Amino acid sequence: MSGIKLTGVSKSFGVVKVINDVDIEIEQGEFAVFVGPSGCGKSTLLRMIAGLEDTTGGEIRIDAEDVTRREASKRGVAMVFQSYALYPHLSVFDNMAFSLSIARRPKAEIEKKVRAAAEVLRLSDYLNHKPSQLSGGQRQRVAIGRAIVREPRVFLFDEPLSNLDAELRVKMRMEIARLHRQIGATMVYVTHDQVEAMTLADKIVVLKGGVVQQIGAPLALYRDPDNMFVAGFIGSPAMNFLKARVVPGSGDGLTVELDDAPGVPFAIRAKAGLAAGEEIFVGARPEHIALGEREGGIPLRATAEFIEELGGTGYLHALTASGEEITLECRGQERPQPKQPIRLTLSSGDVFAFDRQGARLR
Amino acid sequence: MTSDRRGKALTAALMIAPFVITYLTVFAYPVYKMFALSFTDAPLIGEGRWVGFDNYLKLINQKLFFTSAWNTGYFVVLTVVPNTLIGLGLALMVVRLRGWLQSLVLVLFFLPYILPVSVVTQIWEWVLDQQFGIAQYVIELFTGKRISVFRDPIWAMPMVALVTVWWTNGFNLLLFIAGLRNIPADYYEAATLDGATRWQCFQRITWPLIWPVTALVLTLQLILQLKIFDQVYLMTEGGPFNSTYVLLQLVYREAFRLNHGGLGSAVAVFLFLIIVTVSVLQYQLLRVRGR
Repeated sequence: MSGIKLTGVSKSFGVVKVINDVDIEIEQGEFAVFVGPSGCGKSTLLRMIAGLEDTTGGEIRIDAEDVTRREASKRGVAMVFQSYALYPHLSVFDNMAFSLSIARRPKAEIEKKVRAAAEVLRLSDYLNHKPSQLSGGQRQRVAIGRAIVREPRVFLFDEPLSNLDAELRVKMRMEIARLHRQIGATMVYVTHDQVEAMTLADKIVVLKGGVVQQIGAPLALYRDPDNMFVAGFIGSPAMNFLKARVVPGSGDGLTVELDDAPGVPFAIRAKAGLAAGEEIFVGARPEHIALGEREGGIPLRATAEFIEELGGTGYLHALTASGEEITLECRGQERPQPKQPIRLTLSSGDVFAFDRQGARLR
Repeated sequence: MTSDRRGKALTAALMIAPFVITYLTVFAYPVYKMFALSFTDAPLIGEGRWVGFDNYLKLINQKLFFTSAWNTGYFVVLTVVPNTLIGLGLALMVVRLRGWLQSLVLVLFFLPYILPVSVVTQIWEWVLDQQFGIAQYVIELFTGKRISVFRDPIWAMPMVALVTVWWTNGFNLLLFIAGLRNIPADYYEAATLDGATRWQCFQRITWPLIWPVTALVLTLQLILQLKIFDQVYLMTEGGPFNSTYVLLQLVYREAFRLNHGGLGSAVAVFLFLIIVTVSVLQYQLLRVRGR
């Protein structure tokens, strides 16, 4: 069982703590994605699992074996680097055969394994090429091939697609997903791109400042974020946060009033317990704000600013009366002009509430 | 259109004129003159009579010419490869250091290179002095006696080579450091994950990737060391018993001591041709091997 279990894992450089008490459990065969803004410690955490960085505190287990202090080469992990780290003086074949030839495996075995991996990655025609003769996507596949040949317990990917152009990135994303289905190994993937995380992951780990913000399936994070950071990070375009205030209300929910829509109180499914007058944030995804006035929603007034047109839909960026930026999805035919005053409707059943520290109110 | 193009050509000619003029006067003309002089019996100053290949025939019959050619070759063997390997070895160690310590060590190794040759030879004559030289303790340890190294035909050339390596190694070290810094750390991390040992990393990654720099250093060294003169002139003056007599010294002797401008030029032409042939040949060979 090639699961990975991190318990209380920490790392500090001197007094600076870059990874703070991280607990993560990744099941055998699972595709886990570490996502977060740059500098959040996701790559460091991956390198700690690989054994390229020392672990200051806590325990890392692979296959239930404690590998915290074990040498990188003895952990049974293979890593695909952001730069691919292909040796420029070796052919594709020799690059892929590197680990086996280091281990002095018999020639026939090396040949068989490299050819099999090349088959899977559609690289058979390029085995005699040098990396410099390959395109970005092919180099990426060679880097993955080098990992496959080792038959590791765990695959680690460190932002493998960030050097590719947008179109190729989508293609490679599918290839990696296909590969995961095909070989079924445990994979840990680091990215700063939440779209990549959403499309690839069985389990997403959101990190910020070396602290795990939330762990869960992509849709679970999308539908039920624990805090404002996760809510804002997962989903594209990002969730809108509007200032609001708690008002006295009836029932067991929380009754709030948007600063931009005074006099229109509405209930949010969250435990009451905040005093009236307390400031909170209301989060609403762009698809839950509609253009025009609708029944049963919260009406908002805004000024259109700029539209990101995608054809079928468009994302309208607007400013509310109090000057807050708001993004919404336009699905119909209607497209407001810049500077045009518009009316919006927030669907109150789909919003989230966060306290002033950013924690979710449920 | 045409006048515009002509104007451009004129500007271009004007721009490169300073270089072309300097190149012609201080390089091309002297080189031509050297070839021309070698076929005359000219003294150091003034013109001479055309004598055909006489000077070259004289050289072939002169024992000192073969001695100095042999000694120059011996010196090249003693310096070029050792100097390159030592430079690489030191660079591999220095590159592992971090921050200010690396800079400090680099400065220490580079320091000899900025010294003038006379200071270098003075230091080493002092270090190797038979009576109070500190190196004599080491020599005594191995041979059981103190040796006046610059007066011993067996010791003299290796000691000149040692001084030269000490003096010029800093520059090679610097070239190797630059080359090593160009190898991404990822390569070593990927190799470490694959279970490569330090030696395997060197053998399979560092050595092939540093090879272009090695080829360059070897070639630069070869050219530089074929032109050996200063150290020999200052430390042994070619002695003892001509055991450190080198080709440039022969040029110096013929041209400036014996006033044989023509013969001196012939030796210079010989050295010139050797340097061009050997260095071009070596660089091409090394490059092919590196591919």
